[in-house]
Amino acid sequence: MNIMLLAAHKAYTYVPFVKPLPLGWTHWYLLLLPLCLAIAVVYKSIRCQSMRRVPRESLVLFVFIVAVMMATAGALATLVNYLER
Amino acid sequence: MKTPPLIALCGWLVPGSGYVVLGHTARGLTVGITIIVLFVLGLLIGGVRVVDPPPNFLADPVRAAINKPWFAAQLLTGPIAVVAAAAGRNEAFVASHARVNEIGTLYTAIAGALNLLSIIDSSWRAGRKETSP
Repeated sequence: MNIMLLAAHKAYTYVPFVKPLPLGWTHWYLLLLPLCLAIAVVYKSIRCQSMRRVPRESLVLFVFIVAVMMATAGALATLVNYLER
Repeated sequence: MKTPPLIALCGWLVPGSGYVVLGHTARGLTVGITIIVLFVLGLLIGGVRVVDPPPNFLADPVRAAINKPWFAAQLLTGPIAVVAAAAGRNEAFVASHARVNEIGTLYTAIAGALNLLSIIDSSWRAGRKETSP
């Protein structure tokens, strides 16, 4: 069964806009990084009076969002592991 | 002449253009390009059919928005979302499922939500310019 799935996965050809990215990709969570960066850039572009401050402040916000998400994920994983015992 | 409703309409038609009309070119380009790139990335991840309009959207938009709130957020990106929704009706486009669909939908909906934020801010700035002496 796994061999059939692997063969189907290899036979899949990605066509931009027409077909979605291949399924079964285990590092899906990395796709959240560009999303966080875009949120940080737009938010800081709106909030900052001077656009000169945007690159630095959006980078700080990006790091903050990612750190909080990682901390939340770690806390939830610990909680789930504790409850499953 | 640069009234808040006009600036809001500009911001919806082309993300970030509300700021450009007000003279904040760098801000408008940064916001607009980021929003459009985010929306296009969502389409590249999940395919065009992540923009999935609910049935009877035009007949009963309130119920349709309640049934598929993601579409309401996606629509805030502007005509690009309308074009994607119309293109997605073509059976040649493959629908995505599971996590790929979720992430594609999230990208496109967040792009719309960020555009709403920029529309509100640019309209507010236009109103402030109008009232200031």
